[in-house]
Amino acid sequence: MTDPGWQQLLHGIAHADDSASLHRLRELVHDRMVARLPLQGTEQFYGELNDAHDAFVQRAIQLAQFELARLGRGVPPVPFAYLLFGSGGRREQTLLSDQDSGIIYADSLSQAEQEKSSQYFTALADRIVQLLLETGYPLCEGNVLSSNPEWCRSLSSWRVKLNGWFQEPAWEAVRYLLIVADSRCVYGETGLHDELKDDFYGDVIRQPIIVKRMLENTMKHKVLLNIFGQLLREQYGEDAGSIDIKYGAYIPMVNAIRLLAIEANLREASTLDRIRSLEKLGLVQPGEAAECIEIFLLFLRLRMMTTEKIENGQYTTNGKLSSSKLSKEMAEKLKNGLKLGKKLQRKVYRHTMSRL
Amino acid sequence: MIKKMLISISAMLVLFPTMAFAEDPSSATLNMGLNSLWVMLSAILVLLMQGGFILLETGSTRMKNAGHVAGKTIFTVGLCSLIYWAVGYGVAFGASGNDFFGWGDFLFDPSKVSVDNALPPTIFFLFQLAFAAVSLSIAWGGFAERAKFSVYLIFTILFTALIYPVVAHWIWGGGFLFQDGAQDFAGSTVVHLTGAMAALAGTILLKPRIGKFNKDGSANEILGHNQVFTALSVLILWVGWFGFNAGSTLAIGDGFFGYVAFNTQLGAAGGAVAAMLISWAVLGKTDIGTTLNGALAGLVAITASCAFVDPWAAVVIGLVAGVLVFYSTRFFEKIRIDDPIFALSVHGAAGIWGTLANGIFATEELATKLNTGKGGLIDTGSWDQLWVQLESVAVSGAYAFAVSFIILAVMKKVMGLRVTEEQEIAGLDLSEHGNYGYPEQLKKSSTPNIGA
Repeated sequence: MTDPGWQQLLHGIAHADDSASLHRLRELVHDRMVARLPLQGTEQFYGELNDAHDAFVQRAIQLAQFELARLGRGVPPVPFAYLLFGSGGRREQTLLSDQDSGIIYADSLSQAEQEKSSQYFTALADRIVQLLLETGYPLCEGNVLSSNPEWCRSLSSWRVKLNGWFQEPAWEAVRYLLIVADSRCVYGETGLHDELKDDFYGDVIRQPIIVKRMLENTMKHKVLLNIFGQLLREQYGEDAGSIDIKYGAYIPMVNAIRLLAIEANLREASTLDRIRSLEKLGLVQPGEAAECIEIFLLFLRLRMMTTEKIENGQYTTNGKLSSSKLSKEMAEKLKNGLKLGKKLQRKVYRHTMSRL
Repeated sequence: MIKKMLISISAMLVLFPTMAFAEDPSSATLNMGLNSLWVMLSAILVLLMQGGFILLETGSTRMKNAGHVAGKTIFTVGLCSLIYWAVGYGVAFGASGNDFFGWGDFLFDPSKVSVDNALPPTIFFLFQLAFAAVSLSIAWGGFAERAKFSVYLIFTILFTALIYPVVAHWIWGGGFLFQDGAQDFAGSTVVHLTGAMAALAGTILLKPRIGKFNKDGSANEILGHNQVFTALSVLILWVGWFGFNAGSTLAIGDGFFGYVAFNTQLGAAGGAVAAMLISWAVLGKTDIGTTLNGALAGLVAITASCAFVDPWAAVVIGLVAGVLVFYSTRFFEKIRIDDPIFALSVHGAAGIWGTLANGIFATEELATKLNTGKGGLIDTGSWDQLWVQLESVAVSGAYAFAVSFIILAVMKKVMGLRVTEEQEIAGLDLSEHGNYGYPEQLKKSSTPNIGA
C-alpha cells in the first residue's frame, strides 16, 4: 500500500472514538473507493476495500469492549473469535454489504463461569452489531448475526450445533453448513475458529451424503443464460432490462467453487484463493483456473457497478446491473463468462455425483 | 339408459301397435335429423365457450374487476343475440345481398321446421350467432379493466350489426372473398382476427391501464388474480372448439367432421407444447401463461385449416402458432400496447398465421372436396391460394380495424371510453356496479366525508 492517504484512513478507523466517527470514515472510504473503481485492478480493489471493512469491524469490537468495561462488565472472561460469514467471510464485500457475523468463545470449566461468558458475549455482540449498524452496515435479513444467540456460542456448543446439522441435513441445516464454510476469523483467537473448521471438514469427509445435499442447495441459482446463449434480463418493473449479477452470475460461481473446495478439504474462504488452491492440487487445470479467475474478477467488477440505493442513510444494493451501465463489449464478455460458469456448474455436478 | 328406452319402446308398441307399421322416415329425413342434432350440439358447445371467455378474462385480470369482467359477458352475449337476430344475420347471410353485404332476413323469422330436408334455419342461425358472440368476446380483451360499461353496450350493437357480419358475408356468405376462393373453414379470420382487430382499436384508443408501463417505457407485470380460472378457461375453450371447428362441417355426412376434430386436437396440442418449450428456452423458466396462450393460439391457427390439411401439417401449424404467440406477446409489450388478455397475440397474430397457413398446407384433395379454393403451396407448388389467403386476411383485418377504430374514436369524442382514474383504481366492480365480485375479500373504503 503506497497511498499515504489510504494508510491515514485505516489509521483513523483503528483509532476512531465512537460510531459517529466510524460513520464519517465509512463515507470517506466509500467516496474514495468509488473514485478508484475505474482506475484499479479488481482484485486489488476488493483487497483494499475489505481491509477497510475488516478495520471497521475490528474497531467496533474494541469500542464495544471498552464500553462494557466502562459499564462495569469487565473484560472478556475467556478468549473469543469474531467471525464474518458470507461475502465478508470470503473478503468479497462490496461497498454496500450487510453484516453477517458470529462469535465463538472458549469453554469454561464450570457451569457458572460458562453462564457468565454467555452473558458477557451476548452483551458484547449486541453492542458490536449496534455500532456497526450506526457505522452504516445494515443487519443481515436472515438474522445471521453475532447478536443472535444461535450464532454466538461457546466452542463446545458450536460443535454440538454443527453435529446436529450434519446429522439432519434438511435444507436449513445445509444452508447453515454452507454459511459456516465461508466463515473467517476477523478478530480475536484464530485457534478457536481453526478448531471449528477441523470439525467441519472431518464431518464432511465422514459423510459424503452431505456434499450431495450441498450440491442440491447450491445449484438452485441458475446462470442467467437461455439455451440460445442470450442474457436473461429482468422482464418487468423498474429494473426491467437489468441483469441480476448477484444471483445470476456471482453467486452460482461462488457456490460451484465453494463446493469443489469443500470436497478438496480446502480451508480458504475467498473464492479466488479457493481457485488457486484447487489449481495447486491439480483439481482444476491451469488454463481452466486462469479462465475462472478472469471471469470471476469480471463478475466482481460488474457487481461493484450494480445499482446502489441509499435508504435511511444506509448503503444497499439489489445486485442488479441496469442495461444502461452495461456496454455492448461488457455484455459480450459477460455472456462468455456465463457460458464458462454454466460449464463449471456442470463440472461440479458431475464431479460431486461421481464421488457418491 | 338403453334398457329404459327399450322398455318404454316395447310399452309403446303394446299400447299403440299401429305405430310399428307407420311409414319409415326417408333416409334424407334421417340425415337431416342427424345433421341437425350435430349442428345444434355444436352451437351449444360454441355458446359454452363464453364460459371459457368469462373465466379467461376474469382470471387474467385483477380481483377488483372480477364481477364486472365476468358479468358483462352475460349482458353482451344477450345484447349480441338480439342485434344479430335483428340485423347481423341479415347482413351476413341475407338472401338479396351483393358481393359486399347481405340484405334481407332482418328480424329473422325462420321456418319452424326443416324445408326439403335441409338443415333447419333456426339451428343454422343459432350456430352462426354463437360465432358472432365469440368474436365479440375476443374484442373485449382489449377493453378490459378500464372501459366504461356504456362502451360495452354501444359497441356490442355496432360490432354485431356492422363489423362482424360484413366480414362473415365476405368469406362465408358468398361475398367477394368467397368468390376469390378464400378458405377459412371455421373462422381464423372471420371470427378471431375480426375480434382481435376490434380489441386492438379498443386498446389503442383506451390507452394502457394505469401502472402497466413506466415512464422509461419498461413494462410492469399486472398479474391476473386467478391462474386456475385461466387454465380452466383454456380447457373449456378447447372442448368448445370441437363444436366450433368440427361443427362447421354443418353435416355428419361421411364422417368428415371427425377428421376436422382430429386436426383440431393436433393443432391445440402443438400450440401448447411449443409455447411452453419456447418460454423455457428463452426465459429459463416454463411460463404457465404462455403455455395457456399457446394452446389457444394453436386452436385459433388450426381453425382456418382444420378441414384442409394433413395431420402433420396440423401439428406444424400448432407448433408455429405456439412460438408465434410467445414472441407476439413480447412485441406488443415492447411497442407499449397493453393487451391484458393477450387477445392481440392469441387471436390476432395466430389468426393471421392460421389463415396464411391454409395457403401453404392445404391439400388439393381436400380443397376439391370442400369446393372453395385450391390446394396450397406445398401440395400444388402454386402460390395462388396463398395469395388469396393473404388478400382475405389483409382486407378483412383492415376493414375490422378501420371500422372499429372509427366507431370507437367517435364514441370517445362523444361519450368517452374510459372510467376516471379514481374509478379505475377503485375497480370497476365498485364504480360500474356498486358491488365487489369478491365482497369478503375486498372491503369498500369508507366513503370520504367531503362535507366535513
